[in-house]
Amino acid sequence: MDYIVWQNISPLTKLVMNQLHYLGLLFMISVYAYRIHQIFQFPAAKEGTPPKGDQRQAIRYSYLTLAMPWEIESQKRHMYRYIEFVIFHIAMAVSILFTWTLPMAHEFMKNPVIIGFSEFFFVLGFLTGTSRLARRLYSPAMREISSFDDYFSLILLTLWMLFGILAAPLKSEPFLFGFYCFATFLHFYVPFSKIMHYLYWPFIRYYMGKHFGHRGTYPKKGSMPSLK
Amino acid sequence: MRTKSENAIAFNESFKKRSNRQHMLSFAVCTHCGVCNDSCHYFLATDDPKMTPVAKMDKLRQVYKSQKGPLGKLAPRWVGAKEMETDEDLKELQDIVFGSCTGCRRCTFNCPFGVDTASLVGLARSCLVDLGYAPEGIKAVMKNQWETGNQMGISKEEYLDTLQWIQEELQEEFSDPDFIVPIDKKGADFVYVINPREVKYDPRPLQAAFKIFHHAGLDWTMGSEGWDNTNFGLFSGKADLGGHMGNLAYNQAKKLEVKRMVISECGHGFRSTKWEAPNWGKANPLPFEMVSLLELMVDLINTGKIVLDPSKNPYPVTYHDPCNLSRSCGITEEPRFCLKRACVDFRELMPNRGDSFCCTGGGGAMSMVEYAPRRLEVARVKADQIRKAGAAVVATSCHNCVDGLRDVIKNYNLRYDYRDAKAPKLLRVCNVCELVAEAMIIPVEIQKTAIKASKDAVRGKKILVIDDEPDIIVFIETLLTDNGFKVITANDGITGLQKAKAEQPDLITLDITMPGKSGIQLFRELRSTAETANIPVFIVTGTIDFRQLMYQKAIPAPDGFMMKPIDPKVLLTTVNKILEKAARNSTVVN
Repeated sequence: MDYIVWQNISPLTKLVMNQLHYLGLLFMISVYAYRIHQIFQFPAAKEGTPPKGDQRQAIRYSYLTLAMPWEIESQKRHMYRYIEFVIFHIAMAVSILFTWTLPMAHEFMKNPVIIGFSEFFFVLGFLTGTSRLARRLYSPAMREISSFDDYFSLILLTLWMLFGILAAPLKSEPFLFGFYCFATFLHFYVPFSKIMHYLYWPFIRYYMGKHFGHRGTYPKKGSMPSLK
Repeated sequence: MRTKSENAIAFNESFKKRSNRQHMLSFAVCTHCGVCNDSCHYFLATDDPKMTPVAKMDKLRQVYKSQKGPLGKLAPRWVGAKEMETDEDLKELQDIVFGSCTGCRRCTFNCPFGVDTASLVGLARSCLVDLGYAPEGIKAVMKNQWETGNQMGISKEEYLDTLQWIQEELQEEFSDPDFIVPIDKKGADFVYVINPREVKYDPRPLQAAFKIFHHAGLDWTMGSEGWDNTNFGLFSGKADLGGHMGNLAYNQAKKLEVKRMVISECGHGFRSTKWEAPNWGKANPLPFEMVSLLELMVDLINTGKIVLDPSKNPYPVTYHDPCNLSRSCGITEEPRFCLKRACVDFRELMPNRGDSFCCTGGGGAMSMVEYAPRRLEVARVKADQIRKAGAAVVATSCHNCVDGLRDVIKNYNLRYDYRDAKAPKLLRVCNVCELVAEAMIIPVEIQKTAIKASKDAVRGKKILVIDDEPDIIVFIETLLTDNGFKVITANDGITGLQKAKAEQPDLITLDITMPGKSGIQLFRELRSTAETANIPVFIVTGTIDFRQLMYQKAIPAPDGFMMKPIDPKVLLTTVNKILEKAARNSTVVN
């Protein structure tokens, strides 16, 4: 099967890949800006006592713990889940990069190495998404805490990855159209769903580092005593 | 649309007003990933999906989503958004935030985001307490702290009396008339603030601290007021109470013009006094430093002001990290430093430090007797930790932990085969300062005498022991007789009342759970009968419900109280204390 001829792509597909996609991005950025403004509408709890620890170091540590699974018990104990989390999020990042690069550099994206790279992460994204969904459906503790948004968000992203697998070879316009429909829809849905957590993550880790750094709890003390 | 109850409306309003930025982020960022599940001892012990941190906090999170969440108004069911609507909702929330979370913050440290469940619990508690939705024990202690300045409603007279009694005990123990417990000494290096439990029920940590201060030659003082370091502002979420308690201590320290405030081994007390109350009470900046007794002991050991002989503590010792000290205050190495020098065999619990599991007594749990069965059920996780360490002694730097761990050890029958005991005994739980004091090498010029069974004033006093268990009667009778007391016994409430009237003992030790006339009924009768109203009563019981009755003042305050299994030293100390106080009072009256 030959690659899609870009000039022959239907107007609807082009509309979804370009104008609607950009509109979705603009919408998402606007809502994010409002959400950030909303964060600052809440007064921050202030600390007036003299600090015990180094807050800056603690804030850095707080951000870096995500990349240090040995520092957090839940990550150490469930290394499979941690690896799954890393792969899933890398796959999402690659997918986003794919959606924005393709309209601007479609010839470049036909390179077999690029296609292989994209396919690899779409497959991993699909597998990890499916694994997460299975766990959410199978575990009673996970079912108890799952709302419609939790299921829908995960299904959405996993199906997006599936369409990514099918669209990445750039040989089928229907799959490409489906992939971009998902991508565009996500831009409109994400600002209202839990997927938006990454917007809040830098702020909450900042305050966590600041608070526990102030108290001298962060960075966590190792197993060896720090006193003589 | 269903009409909301007035309380629910008030809660929702209060919630909206009190939520700060950190709360908002904790509500908004949660993705229900479930990573926190097995960091929570409530879930680990029960496997109940409703006991995960997320499930518990979602009850509150749904209020946030309804008020501020993106789809909260448009599609509430889609995102799980819902404000409080009925009084039953509030009762359910009360059960969650008071009865299913100790605020230990273990989940926070394991959360990829850092959702601060403890602070959300504090927010919920503050809103509920204002509407009267709080356990009676919490309300009772809050009332005590507002009205008397300490959580146990101890009068100034009783407090000063106890300090004087301790002074006399220590003067006798070391044959040192210069062993003074200074009170309100202006310009001292530090003032020592304590947990009222040390005054009311177990003065041994206080005695240990005083021994350390005296033998190190420190310049210190107690305050006649503002001496309570505990703070139910933390457990109730009420910043006004928190600030009030902090300011009582700070004002006293300022009045005494001390350079430092040393805070005794109390987890929430240290955290509240040092870190939280200055903010709550708008007391910053303070003109003195605040340190933990642990930090002081490290300094004394490092500078050679106290020298320890670890062979005096030959049994294996482990350390339980109080949640408030380890996770909220970063104090983990100081107790280990002290224990490794005070004991021959120190061994770690696994996990430990910031990963340690809660004793289950935190968050005010020890004053919430209605949740005791659940507390003991989820304590299985802690019991397993302690069992695996194989220690004889569990040291900890928190009084709630001491009580909580004693309940755990008793409930799960954790025993150690001590060399000098006939059968394995329940593990000992104590503060770090007690082990340090026991290991201290006292300068040779101070001759240590054996502790006298009783001073002359109380030798030969008559004690009536009332208990339905023959073994307990024999144990207490033997112990007291060997120490110079005259003992009469009764094995039920009716006989006990008869003997109290006929024999007019100097002291009654009283069990609570007895067939027929219970100890509570008997106690009330003793207090309401003219012939027996003034006889001191020392409650010795295995029932934890008794704490609640005392907190709520549902019964008159006993002169002493201790939990079974009986620690002979505590029993003798308390008996001596009560009798000496009675003797002193009768001398004053005469």
